[in-house]
Amino acid sequence: MRTVETTIANRRDDLARVTRIVEDLAGTHHLARDVVADVKVALDEVLTNILAYAYEDDEIHEIRIRLSLDQEVIEVEVEDDGRPFDPTALAPPDLSASLRDRSVGGLGMHFVRNLMSEVTYARP
Amino acid sequence: MDLREDTSGDVTILEIKGRIDSTTAPVLGERLTASLTTPQRRLVLDLRQLEYISSAGFRVLLLAARRAEEAGARFVLCSVTGKVRHLFDLGGFLDLFLISGSREEAITAVH
Repeated sequence: MRTVETTIANRRDDLARVTRIVEDLAGTHHLARDVVADVKVALDEVLTNILAYAYEDDEIHEIRIRLSLDQEVIEVEVEDDGRPFDPTALAPPDLSASLRDRSVGGLGMHFVRNLMSEVTYARP
Repeated sequence: MDLREDTSGDVTILEIKGRIDSTTAPVLGERLTASLTTPQRRLVLDLRQLEYISSAGFRVLLLAARRAEEAGARFVLCSVTGKVRHLFDLGGFLDLFLISGSREEAITAVH
C-alpha cells in the first residue's frame, strides 16, 4: 500500500497544495483520469465545508489529509479539530428548483456521496 | 485554470482549461461578472477542455446565469462532455443552463 499524508492550515490558499499532492500520486501510479477528478472534487468539497463551517474562531487549525492507494482502491481520510458535524447525515439537496431559486447548499456532499464508493464519518 | 477569450462577431467566447474548484472559481466569477454586466452581451463558455468542476464552480455559473437574465445578456455553455457532463448531471444542471453541443451551435444559440 502506498500512503501519502499532508497537513494544511484552515486557509483557502492551502487547498491548491492538496490538489497537487493528488496529481503527484496519480502521475506516479498512472491512475485513471476520471477517478482522479472524482477524488479532487470530493476533497475540494470536504475541505471547503471544513473551512467554511468547522471553526468558531479565527485561529489557525491543522487539517490532516491522508491518501492511501491499495490495488484498486483509493482511500481518502480527512481529519480536523473543528466542531462535530456529520456530513453524511445531510439531507440530499433539492435539484429541481428553477434557476432563480436554485442554491448549491448541500451540493458538495451530494457530489462526495455520489462520486465515492463509500463515505464514513467518525469521531475519536 | 486557464481562461482564453475569443470573439466571433458580437459573441465573446471564454474557453476554460483545467479545473474549476474553490481555488479557481473566484477568478472565473470575477471574469463572468465583468462580462455579463453589459446589456445585450452574448457570452459563450466553452468547457471542452475543462477537467472538472466542483460545487464552488457551479455556484459561480448559477450566479452568472442569473446575472445574464437580469441584464438581458445571453449566456450559453457548450461542449459539456465526459466527466464534466457527469458532474452537471449529478448536480441537476443539465436542464438548468442553456447548453449547446459545440461552440458553433452555441454561437448560433446566443442570437
